[in-house]
This record gives sequence, structure tokens and C-alpha cells, in this order.
Amino acid sequence: MPSDKNNKIPFNEDNYTHNIERDNERKLDRRGFMKTLVGAAGVFAISSLPWGAIAAKELMGLGEKEYPHKKITNVSGLPIGDAVEFKFPGDHDDAILIRLSETKYVAYQNACTHLRCPVFWVKEEGEMICPCHHGKFDVETGAPTAGPPRRPLPEIQVKVENGAVYAVRVKRYEV
Amino acid sequence: MKFKYIGVALLCAFLMMNIVFTQFMVHQFYYENYINVLIFGGLNIVVFPLALFTYKKTKNEKA
Ligand code: FES
Repeated sequence: MPSDKNNKIPFNEDNYTHNIERDNERKLDRRGFMKTLVGAAGVFAISSLPWGAIAAKELMGLGEKEYPHKKITNVSGLPIGDAVEFKFPGDHDDAILIRLSETKYVAYQNACTHLRCPVFWVKEEGEMICPCHHGKFDVETGAPTAGPPRRPLPEIQVKVENGAVYAVRVKRYEV
Repeated sequence: MKFKYIGVALLCAFLMMNIVFTQFMVHQFYYENYINVLIFGGLNIVVFPLALFTYKKTKNEKA
């Protein structure tokens, strides 16, 4: 059916590309601006979905799965006060193991809780430091002590068995 | 004439809410408070129809 649009000039045009018009390329009228705002709200809505989906999955307990214990290093290869980096639980999840004393080991996922730079262990100062914005973390608990980070580093539970250190699981935050 | 920009103002407010909710959502996600993630994510989604409705209501105000 032929549209009668052409007989009415200007025809009533209200589509969602209203402000895309070659003649008025540089012109953003109020309605066009409002459409952009609505579109932005749509983008926010859509981009919330994956977060919600993962959150729902975790809530249903599917995220609780046990990872196979992973050998980090041999006890003999890690002098007191030294640190070694490893990956846990996935191959792309950087983590760090620090030996504080003869029997005390701590391990954290070392992606900074500010913007995910790798946090490293400074033996001389007894602190974990993020190079990006000088965030500091307490080595005993993983709690942030200085700089921009506000959230503790996720702690990894470790166990020592037969002269080797194993990563067991990532601890949940206490609520 | 007086309310010429009320639609724009409302939509800007919605956008601001989106930004705030998203910020909360992401932080709560990393804190592992997954209920709060769902709440803020839900709010974020609800804002979109509201914005669309506001647009439809106010688009014909005399420019
Ligand atoms: S990324 Fe670590 S302090 Fe900013």
C-alpha cells in the first residue's frame, strides 16, 4: 500500500533515529537529545543483566563449586619472608602466596581491589603494595590500609602437605 | 513554556540514577552481596521503561 507520507510535508516523523539526518547532521534538537538519554537508560538496563545473572547463579549456589586443590610450591623453595605468584582458581586469576613464618602462610588473589593492578609483596616494609596508585594492604588480613582500595583482597585458603603448599579454595567475605 | 525542559530534566535525573545504581551494583558484586546486586540491577532495568514513558509523555511540549 503506498504511504501518503509524501503528500504531507513535513510529515509527522517520529522514529528512534530522528536525529540522524544528513541535512542536519550537526544539529541535536531537544527531542533528539531526549532520545539519546532514553537510549542511554536502555544501555544501562541491558548491561545490568550479566551482573544480575551471575549474582543469581551465585545465590543458587552454583558458584560454590570446589576447585581441585592446586600445588603452589614446595616448602623448601620458599624461604620465610618470600612470596611466590601463582594462578588460582582459574588460569587467569593471579594470586600471591607469602610465607610469614615457619608455619604461617597467607595467600590472596592479588588483583588490586581498586582497578585490578597486580599487588606485590614488599618484604622490607612488610606490606603488600599496588604499584598503580600506591594502594597498600595488610599482609595478615588482606584489608586495605592506604590508598584508593576499599575492599580487602580475597583470601585463599592454603594447606601444607608433604612438604608442599596447596591452594584449597577462595574464602568468601564474611557478611 | 515554563515546563519546556521538564522532560529533559527528568531524563537526566533517570540517567543519574542509572549511574548511581550501576556503581552500587558493581561494588556490591565484588563484596559478594548478591542480593543487593539483584536489587540494584533490577532498579536499573526498571528505570528504562520509566525513561521511555517520560519521553513519550513530554516529547510534544512546544519546543
Ligand atoms: S589499582 Fe591498585 S591502587 Fe589503583
